[in-house]
Amino acid sequence: MLAEQAIIRFENVTKQYDEDPPVLDDVSFEIERGKFYTLLGPSGCGKTTILRLIAGLTEPTKGNIYFNGKLVNHVPANERQVNTVFQDYALFPHLDVYENVAFGLRVKKMKKADIDAKVKEALRFVNLEGYESRKIQEMSGGQKQRVAIARAIVNEPEVLLLDEPLSALDLKLRTEMQYELRELQRRLGITFIFVTHDQEEALAMSDEIFVLNKGKIQQRGTPTDIYDEPINRFVADFIGESNIIPGKMIKDFLVEFNGKVFECVDQGFHPNEPVEIVIRPEDLEITEPDKGKLRVRVDSQLFRGVHYEICCYDEDGNEWLVHSTKKAAVGEEIGLHFDPEAIHVMRLGETEEEFDKRLESYREVSHAK
Amino acid sequence: MKKKIGANIYLIAVFIILYAPIFYLMIYSFNSGGAMHDFKGFTLEWYKEVFHDTRLIVIVLNTLVIALLSSAIATIFGVLGALAIANARSRRTKNMLLTLNNVLIVSPDVIIGASFLILYTLIGIKLGFTSVLISHIAFSIPIVVLMVLPKLQEMSPTLIDAARDLGATRRDVLTRVVLPFISPGILAGFFMALTYSLDDFAVTFFVTGNGFSTLSVEIYSRARQGISLSINALSTLIFLFTIILVIGYYFINRKSVRPNGVGMRQ
Ligand SMILES: Nc1ncnc2c1ncn2[C@@H]1O[C@H](COP(=O)(O)OP(=O)(O)OP(=O)(O)O)[C@@H](O)[C@H]1O
Ligand SMILES: [Mg+2]
Repeated sequence: MLAEQAIIRFENVTKQYDEDPPVLDDVSFEIERGKFYTLLGPSGCGKTTILRLIAGLTEPTKGNIYFNGKLVNHVPANERQVNTVFQDYALFPHLDVYENVAFGLRVKKMKKADIDAKVKEALRFVNLEGYESRKIQEMSGGQKQRVAIARAIVNEPEVLLLDEPLSALDLKLRTEMQYELRELQRRLGITFIFVTHDQEEALAMSDEIFVLNKGKIQQRGTPTDIYDEPINRFVADFIGESNIIPGKMIKDFLVEFNGKVFECVDQGFHPNEPVEIVIRPEDLEITEPDKGKLRVRVDSQLFRGVHYEICCYDEDGNEWLVHSTKKAAVGEEIGLHFDPEAIHVMRLGETEEEFDKRLESYREVSHAK
Repeated sequence: MKKKIGANIYLIAVFIILYAPIFYLMIYSFNSGGAMHDFKGFTLEWYKEVFHDTRLIVIVLNTLVIALLSSAIATIFGVLGALAIANARSRRTKNMLLTLNNVLIVSPDVIIGASFLILYTLIGIKLGFTSVLISHIAFSIPIVVLMVLPKLQEMSPTLIDAARDLGATRRDVLTRVVLPFISPGILAGFFMALTYSLDDFAVTFFVTGNGFSTLSVEIYSRARQGISLSINALSTLIFLFTIILVIGYYFINRKSVRPNGVGMRQ
């Protein structure tokens, strides 16, 4: 029964400093046990604020926060079963690696022998055996980050909060640490809440992503849900590259844009409702000009390693971004082909609940068939 | 290269000029001639005189007691003050407190001494040990605040968050994070207060009385009575003591930069 219960629940939480507009605006969500969550959003959208609210380092202005079903609004940080890996690591410079990791156990007045065993185990966990007596200043960025993780997990928290722990690392180390973190979460089996503003990182690591903007959760779901079915322009734009075009939903399964009518797989709209269309650049296929569904002219292209990023314009002046492994010639006229499944239709100003309801309703319909 | 040599020569010249009077004084403390000219021969006569002068030894002890006590007490108050300033909610209060603190440091000793004298006579504190101690504590506190505050400001506030997050109570945060972090500043403040107290003349001169005296006041009054080379001997001893203090401070400081536990565990 306990395993079913959400470990953390936010109920209409608002956080406001002074008279400024709220940093978090009426946010509600549930965090389940043992999953890897990611809070994703641009700088200043309130990611750190959510972590601080969970950790107990700040209190909500309005709303309630529950931990294991108990209201914890006014429970101070030191009495919560949560530990944090801070954005700047916040390691204690006057203590060595061993003492940094032992800090949480020492303040809990644990026996020396137990502390020693636990600290050693935590350091082994993060591959830092033998670094016990190193000074913090003598550690590299990646090592510091691992000390910070060891310092947090040694307390056996039920939830580990990680605030952009990889942002200071170079690309290679960062990818390596992404694997390590994901692996660590599986081994520990505890809930991780990971903050990042890097969408690729979020897509690669998470069970569940919360996309935030301006103090509101825009969309939540698995990485594929969010990538394939973004709820609005912000999410579509923020997660990966996309072509977003205004259009009109003629009726179920038929959408009009660029002056043409296309087949699609979306439904549940009013007839002739104005909508926005998303087509991912990798879903566009280059063909002969008259064989494609669209006719565009290549404006520029960039080599991106795995693919070419080709920028084209159609006759109406809409920009089309194409990812292709084949090179195109700048100035050339080409055709673009795409499948009906590649089209994703977004209703303007739809909230998350409405979006989920609509999706749910037509999933049921297609099941019934 | 040439430029460097020039700079070195300049530096050496400056130091010679600064230290020459002291060395002149030190050399004549060994003069059997009894005056500050005509070096007649080497003697330790004046040192003997210093060590046989019980009044002088009592005064030296007084000075040390005042210095140690006042700087220790001032360190406690100064650290508390610095914590209060660093944690002040509004920027304005912070700046105001800091300005008040700095005014005390830059205002002339004479004015501080005179105002203490007026204060003591007004509220009826007898001039002597207590009055000198209180004055020394008072002028040392701002110095300690000034030495501790930068360390507090250097400390990232997320360190405190991290400690709280790891289960530390407010008290743990103070004793296990804040105080160890600022300890170099506290130590520096203590030593600064110690040296200020040891060589203070002006303030002490105003507020001392009842036969209580400190070294600087005593040397002043003896030097006025006439030249005795025992003053030179005493000054030499004080100078050596100061050097030892400075060297000690240097070593303690160097140690505190290296965090504890180096090489203790494998
Ligand atoms: N103590 C504070 N007082 C006033 N405003 C604050 C305070 N802390 C945060 N804010 C504001 O709250 C907003 C959200 O901050 P938050 O730190 O949660 O952003 P973030 O999503 O973590 O951004 P980043 O990716 O840059 O770390 C910001 O506009 C910030 O200025
Ligand atoms: Mg942040």
